[in-house]
Amino acid sequence: MATARDRLVISRLVHRFTFGPKPGQFQRLLRGGVAHAPTALLRSPVHDPGLRGLREPSLSDLGPFPAAGSPTRAQFVRSLNQQADDLVLWWLDRMVLSDYPITERMTWFWHGHWATAIAKVRYPLAMKIQNETMRTYGLGNFADLSRAMVVDGALVYWLDGQLNVRSAPNENLGREFMELFTLGVGNYSEDDVKAAARGFTGYQVVRSSGTVSFQPARHDFSEITLLKTTSQFTAPVLSDYVVSLDANARFIAERLWYRFVSSISPAPASLATSFASRQVAPLVHAVATHPGLGDPANALVKSPVEWFVAVCRALSITPSKLPVSLGLINYLYQLGQAPFDPPNVGGWPADEAWLTTASAQARLAFAQNLVRHANLGPVHHAKGDRVHAMADWLGVATWSVRTTKALRAASSDAARMTVVAICAPEYVVSV
Amino acid sequence: MTDISRRQFLKYTGVSTLGAMATTLSLEDVARAASASPLPLGTPILVIVTLYGGNDGLNTVVPYQDPAYATLRPGLSLTEAQVLPLGQGLALNGSMTGMKALWDKNQLGIVLGVGYPQPNHSHFSSMAIWQTASPSSPISSGWIGRWLDTQSRDPLRAVGVGSVLTPLLAGARRSGSMLPFGGMVVPTGALGADVHQLAASSAADVPLTKEAAIAMFNMFQVASTVEPVLAGVRATSTNPLTNQLALVAGLIAAGVPTRVHAVSIAGFDTHANELTAQTSLIGGVSDAVSGFLAQVNTTPRANDVVVLVYSEFGRRPIANASNGTDHGTAGPVFVAGNRVAGGFYGEQPSLSALVGGDLAVTSDFRDVYASLLADVLSSDPASVIPGWTTKLNLIAAG
Repeated sequence: MATARDRLVISRLVHRFTFGPKPGQFQRLLRGGVAHAPTALLRSPVHDPGLRGLREPSLSDLGPFPAAGSPTRAQFVRSLNQQADDLVLWWLDRMVLSDYPITERMTWFWHGHWATAIAKVRYPLAMKIQNETMRTYGLGNFADLSRAMVVDGALVYWLDGQLNVRSAPNENLGREFMELFTLGVGNYSEDDVKAAARGFTGYQVVRSSGTVSFQPARHDFSEITLLKTTSQFTAPVLSDYVVSLDANARFIAERLWYRFVSSISPAPASLATSFASRQVAPLVHAVATHPGLGDPANALVKSPVEWFVAVCRALSITPSKLPVSLGLINYLYQLGQAPFDPPNVGGWPADEAWLTTASAQARLAFAQNLVRHANLGPVHHAKGDRVHAMADWLGVATWSVRTTKALRAASSDAARMTVVAICAPEYVVSV
Repeated sequence: MTDISRRQFLKYTGVSTLGAMATTLSLEDVARAASASPLPLGTPILVIVTLYGGNDGLNTVVPYQDPAYATLRPGLSLTEAQVLPLGQGLALNGSMTGMKALWDKNQLGIVLGVGYPQPNHSHFSSMAIWQTASPSSPISSGWIGRWLDTQSRDPLRAVGVGSVLTPLLAGARRSGSMLPFGGMVVPTGALGADVHQLAASSAADVPLTKEAAIAMFNMFQVASTVEPVLAGVRATSTNPLTNQLALVAGLIAAGVPTRVHAVSIAGFDTHANELTAQTSLIGGVSDAVSGFLAQVNTTPRANDVVVLVYSEFGRRPIANASNGTDHGTAGPVFVAGNRVAGGFYGEQPSLSALVGGDLAVTSDFRDVYASLLADVLSSDPASVIPGWTTKLNLIAAG
């Protein structure tokens, strides 16, 4: 019999480091014990049976936009939108179907970190290439990830890197690279922003294919003083140097702590030492096994995508198989979060921002629609008390008295009871 | 920071949010709640318009007679034929005809060179400073949220349009509500009763589960009051701000007990090809605000409404090579409404005395907030901005 604290820790591990349990998984994790759970959940073998049969989205290089008013323009935009929807559904399917979702979870984390929006990039192919880069390096070495990202077509275009030339640097990419991606505020000066912009000059993007080329004629090859070092820089060299600084280890450790443990309590300084090599996997392991994960104060709100994917995993729903008329992507926009479309380069907010009157209403409407497509077998066939079975099915540590009352009132109607459970405060929040 | 989601809201208006089990509230429910606590006529109302991305102040309130203006940004400067002169060598961007009409009626206050000490060039840090009114140290509560903390609890006292809470409305003890654009439908019947039960407080609550329960509780009250208004407002414009302000105008006309409304628009981060984009964006703001005030002027609350328009920073006077501008410092703030004492406040920063390539800050945004707190929200500014003792007089006496 697992203790209350074991249930809490395992619930947090399965919801925060993956996307919530598939049916039966939470009970298996409880039986395996809290000491074994991080190992079980952080595995990322090459072969993932859950993803067998998943089709790649059919994305092609659609070429430049036809001129405004051109007769082919409407069809072109339709094709772009179709590819974009396919891309979103493909990624949601991966999150839902994976048997080892730590890879997708880290890809999702990095997407919020290097937040790039299709609203400006427009081309799904470029977004897919970036997404694959974050999947490839997501648990690998951060220096490799950063080096790939500074010449990623979608990111460079998003931050106006293709307009950044020696004759007059554009600071957008240089500033956000240090502020949001690698160092954090307070670890560079305004002069460093200007210097980084010069180091990033000379990259050109073909947006429709996501390809980036280096144009020496546009690059500033002069010696630049950046963060106390004077050297010639190109984008990969600049990335390597900034990532090598101690502030980078602290900053990335803080960002992981913020998204996986607490947006309020400060990250323990010791975590940065687990990131000395810039290998991400040991840092993730250090966060997942930190005693802070068992501190009751460290609750986190599931963001809308995290909530939706957790519901789908438990209810055996495949996002791409939902009827188009359900309006899945529209619901995600109503809740304020759709994959590939963060609001700005800072990514999505956390915690209280998701707990509004408007989102409570949208979540209830969404939940009612989703439950109609769910496999409610685990409720129908529950042995013993349905309220307890519901907690184990969904991976909830414990229901409050308030929620228990509501679940009991609905317990004769499996669909209604499920709507109540997935909209309950103890499910919306990773308590 | 959550502006895109708000924009997307509007984009997707009209999509049904009705689930199989959802039913609408009865007309009796609506009538009972809407008539329970209407805002008394004559109560001042503040409407806050946030421009995300850093609006280029120099192409908004244009120092078109200063030769340095065209010299610093060739290719990005507006000529005399492209602006609407206001006097003192300053002019509005030519797209801002709606706001120029307000200026001519003495209903537009323009505060010049607004910022704060030691300007921050980060979107996120600078917007946080404006929204929390705390330049010196980061805090988590917004200035309207802290004002809410001083008021009796009512989820409708301050509302924003969208689904994600704007930091402006987050208080230490209570927060404003967010309204979706397309109407609010809450469950009734058995599921409605279940959800009411879920909205109860619990001894086991941690702060976030408590917030989740409160949001559900407030949902019922907000829905019953605003649903008749929301249901009647549809996104008819391609200008997202026009649509949001049409919703606000509907709420005001219906007498909802809301003292502060928050709306926003994004896209002002014009690092590249700025001239057309910024002219169009700021023209859209001008159209939306002037159209909104015209709509309010057809109601008995014409003299109650004051609009504030601000952005997290202005942009560099010198253009970059992409015909855009990088993040800057000071910019103009607009305050509009029938009761506003129109005219310029403060001094336009000099183009020949740049500070590190940026405009000098000549006005502090907290003096603007203090004016609105004292003369629109009838509150002591120091209760919201601790230690702040000065203010502008943007609102006409009487």
